[in-house]
Order: sequence, then structure tokens, then C-alpha cells
Amino acid sequence: MFLRSFRLTGLLLATLVAAMVASLGTAWANEFKVAIVLPGIITDKSFNQAGYEGMKRASDKLGIEFAFSEKTAQPDQPQALSDYARRGYDVVIGHGGEFQESVERVAKRFPDTRFIIVNGTKPGGNVSTMSFDFPALGYVMGYLSGKMSESGKGGYIGAQKLKFYVELGEGFTKGFKDARPDGEVFTAWTNDWDDVAKGKEAALNQISQGADVIFPSMDNAVVGSLQGAKEQKKKAIGIYYDAIADWPDTVLQSAIFDLRNALVTILSTAKDGKLEGKAYIYGLETPEAARIGTYHASVPEDLQKEVSGLIDDIKAGKIKTR
Amino acid sequence: MDFLLDTQALTDFLSTSLRLSIPIIFAAVGGVLAERAGVFNISLEGCILAGAFGAAVGAFLSGTPVGGLFLGIAVAACAGMILAGLAVGLGINQLVAGIAINILMIGMTSYLARLILGADATSTLPGFHPIAIPGLSAIPVLGPVLFKQDFLTYLMYVTVPLAWWLLYKTPWGLNIRAIGDFPVAADSAGISVPGVRVACVMASCMLAGLGGCYLVLSQVFVFTEHMSAGKGFIALAALILGRWNPVGALLACVFFGLTDALQLRLQFNSPEVPYQLFSMVPFVASFLALVLFAGKVRPPSAIGKKYVRGGK
Repeated sequence: MFLRSFRLTGLLLATLVAAMVASLGTAWANEFKVAIVLPGIITDKSFNQAGYEGMKRASDKLGIEFAFSEKTAQPDQPQALSDYARRGYDVVIGHGGEFQESVERVAKRFPDTRFIIVNGTKPGGNVSTMSFDFPALGYVMGYLSGKMSESGKGGYIGAQKLKFYVELGEGFTKGFKDARPDGEVFTAWTNDWDDVAKGKEAALNQISQGADVIFPSMDNAVVGSLQGAKEQKKKAIGIYYDAIADWPDTVLQSAIFDLRNALVTILSTAKDGKLEGKAYIYGLETPEAARIGTYHASVPEDLQKEVSGLIDDIKAGKIKTR
Repeated sequence: MDFLLDTQALTDFLSTSLRLSIPIIFAAVGGVLAERAGVFNISLEGCILAGAFGAAVGAFLSGTPVGGLFLGIAVAACAGMILAGLAVGLGINQLVAGIAINILMIGMTSYLARLILGADATSTLPGFHPIAIPGLSAIPVLGPVLFKQDFLTYLMYVTVPLAWWLLYKTPWGLNIRAIGDFPVAADSAGISVPGVRVACVMASCMLAGLGGCYLVLSQVFVFTEHMSAGKGFIALAALILGRWNPVGALLACVFFGLTDALQLRLQFNSPEVPYQLFSMVPFVASFLALVLFAGKVRPPSAIGKKYVRGGK
């Protein structure tokens, strides 16, 4: 009996809080409000942290109000998403491809709310997806590597065969072979995003087969691959940030996918009320979201110019990167 | 599989296998020691991480790999002390205590690494370099694989037989095994059950810490957060497959290392084989071993149980 009344009190309290939140919501009604639901913790130095910091940056720059839920397990996703929609948030973001299904379900019930799925695959209606043009940057990196390689062999290392990382590798391979028709790219999947030792062994393996430019695309494990390339005095390509700062001897160039700025960009579109139910893919034509970094000193100026020309051609649609 | 016929490629392949298995070997032998004394050491993963962290900080501050080695073992010993205190001293469920240490180590090492190593996190740390043993290293294929290694690898060659000798050929080993199987008898013979268990847990964690030292000081020369990446759990599988025997554990670890190296290698030669298949092998093998050896080999019978004098 005691327990039941306790539970009842809890329920009443929850209702009260909800009502208060709702009234607050109406008070801020004219402010543009965005919520993001994250699968992991906001201090992971990777995908989730980038998502959170992107929101913070957007809120500073665009003057929007934002809320977030971290470490949301898959079964709790629909609940978290619809909660924000009910509370009157204008845009609700599912951070990660795994939100595709839950967003689709929730979006039908809240036709006035806009939903964005980061790395989502199926847009439509009030659902937009946001991702990067992985093959395009992969192609540029591949082309540069092909030109810089002495042995004519390159290596691409990924963790798991997820769609975007497969495409990145395919773009890299295509670029490498376009720069060097007789070239060859080895692809390895380590099945581990964090295992530094395995990342290094994968790189050493490719190097022992003759590869002299390595492009790793895992999370933490990238450090191991770069270390392997550095020890063997070979070259490598950085990913996500301008990696030459940390690997001055090794990194030729970096494929920068800037999730923070991409979020700011898509949210400014949303704030202007121009967000459509389509796939927003940020490629080289939006350098604030996807761009190349700093060149290694050994890359000749002619080649740097050639790569800039290549990027212009890709933007103009003259080169197929897939 | 034609790379097996080429001497150079075969040497590379076997070296990769050995390098991938060494951290697991240290951890698995450590695990054998603790489990033989009747304490589950689920915290091997955390101890590897603690060892790696200590090694990185020690090498960073002292500028020598030896400093890294000492601090690595010391930090792993601290993790061991926590486990010993919780599992042996307070009699808390050993699995829960082990998992708690794993989680604690992930958080703590990440936090402290950012504080201490900071911006230098990816700069190369001083490490051990390979020393060729004259004569032996000239043997084709096996010579460069086994005898052109660094200090920690040679240390591993000594550790495994030493652990075997300790467990099976000395009175201490008899005490340890007795405590793992039937602590009442050991107690009545005047052996301190908690004392031996604490010592074994500490030694176990320090050995796993050596595995972490190997990762940092001999393999990648950098520290990254959560760089143990599940090796401690693979070591647990290896010690089951190795039937709670240091030599068996060694063989199991080498087998796991071989499958890992094969996975990386086969992708070039035959990309049609799914890479996930090889990632499964260690676990499938452990399952098979459990099924095949069911009844014939059993874990130490008092494992996981708190010993209370005069209790049931």
C-alpha cells in the first residue's frame, strides 16, 4: 500500500514537472528550439562529442535553444525523440544511422516537427538526412596518394564494413587508380575501432606487401596505423581533422569531415525554414563541412595545384568519384 | 595461402602473430595464477589498461622505457590491490569486483592521461628495441621471429615456464592449487588462505600489467584511451582453452594471435572470405574447448567462493 501511494506521488510529481516544462516551453515559443538524441556519451572525443559540440556551436552562432539526451539506448530512442517533439522542439536530431527506424516511426506522429538523421539513409516528408560525401574526399586522397606513391601500392584500413566506410575506401581506390592506372590498393578490415595494436599490425602488413601510403579510417585505432607508417618511414592520410599537426613526418594530407560545422550549416538552413525532406550530403562544395587539410612539405607544388583543379572538377561534376 | 611458402612473407606473418599474442599471453598467465588460487580475475582487461597507462606515463616522465616498465607494473599492482581488497578481503562477488575495476580503469586512465600526457598524447614514447640473440637469430624463419625481439618478449619466454614450474613443481604451487581446489585442507595444513590469494591476485594483475607495458613500450609507443580493446577478455578465453595451465594458455594465445594475423593477411589474398569469420575464431574455439573437455577438465573447484574459516 505504502509502495503504491509512493508510486502515485511520483506520478503526480512527474506530471507537475511535465506541466511546468510545457509552460516554460510556451514562454519560449518564439525561440527556435533544437534537440539532439545521442547514442553515446558527449565526452568520447569522437562522434558523439562532435555532435554535442556542433550543437553548442550552432546555439552560439545562430542563437538557438538546444537540449540533448546522451547515452540513449536503441529501445529508448522513440521515447526520447517523441518526448522532444511533444515538448514543441522545432527540430529533433537522431545522431547516427541507427536512428533511421525510430525517427521514421516518430516522425509520422509529429508532422509539424522536423527530424534530422545524421548518417541516415532514407529521407522523406519531415525527415531529412545528413551525411558526408565520403567517396569524393576519398577520391581526392586516393589521387594524391597515387601520385605520391613510389611503389604504386596503397593501403586502406577500416574497422567494420559499414556503408560509408566502404564508400570511402572505394573512392580512395578509384582515385589511386586514376592517378596511376597500374596502381593497386589493399583493403583491410580489422573489426575493431579502438584496438591500436591491430591497427598497427594491419598497416605493417600492407607495408610488407609493398604499400607506401596508408589511409586508416577507424576511431582510436588510427593512431596505431599511423605509428606503423611512421616507423617504417612510409606515408599516410589523416582523417576527421588536420592530422599533420600530430604526425608531421608521416601525414601527406587529411580528409577532414567536420561534423560540428556540418551541424551548424544544416541548422542554419532549418532556422531559415528551408529544411526539406531530402538527403543533405556535404561534400567538397561546402568546405566548412568537408575539406582537405595541410599538405606535407614533400608534396610538390604542381601536384597541389593539380589536386585543387581536381577538387574543382569534382565540384563541377566532371569527375565521377563513385 | 601461398604466402606461407615465401620465407620473407612467412616471417612477417609469424612475427605479426607473435606480437599480437604477447599482451594476451602475459594476461592469460596472470589469470591462471589467480584462478588457480580460487579468485576469478575478470579485471585482466583493466589491469592491461592500467599497465599500459603506467608504462606511458613512466616512459614520458623518465624518458626511458625502464621507468615506464616500473610504473606500469606499479599501477597494475594498484588495480590488483583493489581487487584483492574487494574480492579476498571483503568477500565481495569476484565477478562484480572485477567488472567494477575494468570500468574504473577505463575512466580513470582516460582522465589522467589527458591531464598528464595532454597534448603530447600522440608523440612517440621511448620504448624497447629488438635485440638479436647471436647464433639463434640466424635460424631461417624462426630465428628472426623468435630471437630478434625486444626485452619484454624475452621476459615472456621466461615467465611462462617459470609460472608452470612454480605451479607444478614447488611447494608454493601446491599450496596455490590446494587453496583453489579445497581451501579447508590448505587452511588446516597451516597455510594462510587469504594471504596466498592476495599474493596471487597481485601477481596476476602485475603480469597483466606487463601485457599493457608491452603494448605501449614495445608495440605502438603511444597511449590511447581504452587501448586494451578487449584483450583481457580474450585472455580469459585463452586460459579456459588452455585448461588453467600456463603452457596451455600460452598455446591458446599463440593460436589466437595466428588467427588474428591470418585475418589481416587473408583479406588481400582471398577477399571473398568474410573477415568476421576470423574474429569469431577465438570465441568459437573456447566454446568448443569447453564442450570437448567437459567432464575431463574442470575449473578449480573453490573458484569464486569466499573462504570463511569454519564456514561451510
